[in-house]
Amino acid sequence: MITVNDNTDHELMLAVARGDGARGSLAAMGEIYERRHRALFRFFFRLTARQSPAEDLTHEVFLRMIRYRHTYKAGEAFEAWMYRIARNVFADYTKKHRLEAPAGEGQLEMAESPRPTPLDAALKQQDLALLYRALRALPDDRRELIVLSRYQGLSCEQIGRIVGCETGTVKVRMFRAMKEMGRIFHDLRQEKAS
Amino acid sequence: MTQLSCEKAGELMAGAWMSELDEVSAAALQHHLDACGECAADMVALSRMWEKMGCLPASEPGPVLKARWERTLDSLMNEGRSWRIPWWQSVWPANPAWQMAIATLCLVAGLAAGALLERGRGERDEVARLREEVASTKEMVVLSLLQQQSAVERLRGVDYSSRMPSMEPQVIKALVQAVNGDSNVNVRLAAIDALGRSASDTRVRDSMQDALTRQESPMVQAALIDYLVDARDRNALGAMRELIGRADLNPTVRERAAYAVRQLGQ
Repeated sequence: MITVNDNTDHELMLAVARGDGARGSLAAMGEIYERRHRALFRFFFRLTARQSPAEDLTHEVFLRMIRYRHTYKAGEAFEAWMYRIARNVFADYTKKHRLEAPAGEGQLEMAESPRPTPLDAALKQQDLALLYRALRALPDDRRELIVLSRYQGLSCEQIGRIVGCETGTVKVRMFRAMKEMGRIFHDLRQEKAS
Repeated sequence: MTQLSCEKAGELMAGAWMSELDEVSAAALQHHLDACGECAADMVALSRMWEKMGCLPASEPGPVLKARWERTLDSLMNEGRSWRIPWWQSVWPANPAWQMAIATLCLVAGLAAGALLERGRGERDEVARLREEVASTKEMVVLSLLQQQSAVERLRGVDYSSRMPSMEPQVIKALVQAVNGDSNVNVRLAAIDALGRSASDTRVRDSMQDALTRQESPMVQAALIDYLVDARDRNALGAMRELIGRADLNPTVRERAAYAVRQLGQ
């Protein structure tokens, strides 16, 4: 029997991959879900900007983790393996449904800040809305890179393992993605001002 | 300190945003930014954007997602199937290149097997055709021998027919003609023996009954009686009785025919 709480995700996934009985494996899978489903949901929400598809895709990732559990090996890094599955799930999704219009600015919920004045809050919201649009305007691969690094909190080395390139290449691509997003953000600001 | 290129500086800027810059690299980047106004402007603007991006809120998954997952786990638990991974899944490689290689190998093996089978089928067809040709040749030989003037040759023909794997209608017809009309008793007797293989054919048995009423040779009559008894042909009773009624019938044949009538009458 697997003691789920004290194990790392890697150990839990290895137990699932070994298939030591349905009850133990599903308990381990349940624990992995508890630990990871929010992060995966946010990843997909940043990419799709929609609640329902993000939930569908999150669910699909866990189903694939079960289906392809035999591909998880001892030398594997769990994080990279999980996000590789997530990328494949997202790629399949974009193939099926070309991304529809992004969610409206009104859907954004503001992050809390200490006692913002109404003007500050309004300006901040406007800037955030533009940032959000700029992120949405990026090509999928660049947006994905920014989401992985800025929002999923992954290191360049981890991202390199996920997307299959060197750490240096990840940084170069990251800079280019940020620069492109900065240009779009600037254009949107100009457009808004005029 | 060596001067960085702008591209390398960009790489280091990304490292700085992600807090992955060591002291040496940080110093090198700062050195470059001091000298390059464009990169310095990028660093300021993009770093500010990076910070602001942290304020972009994310939504939270709804309760439906959790409920859906729990239903999935329940259904997996209730499926009752073994959780153990099938052996072929462990063997099947995850790498698409290997998958492609295996698929190609299977395709090549399939094509090779198909070609071999096709060749085997071709060979089998050829053998069947050769057998047909041989059978046809044997038939021609039998028919030809049965037409010969010499009784010895005709006997050879009859003998040859008995060695054929199956008797063709033409050969049967020739043998029946031999029973009815061959001038040599031995040929007629041999033909009756050879037709033993076709005793299940009603037409052959009918021919044998006709022959019984027309044959004069006691030996041939006796052989025909035995033939019809062996064939359990009850329709031959009439021909037997007619034979028994003949005044000039050989006594031994009569006795045999009477015995046959008793046998077939049972």
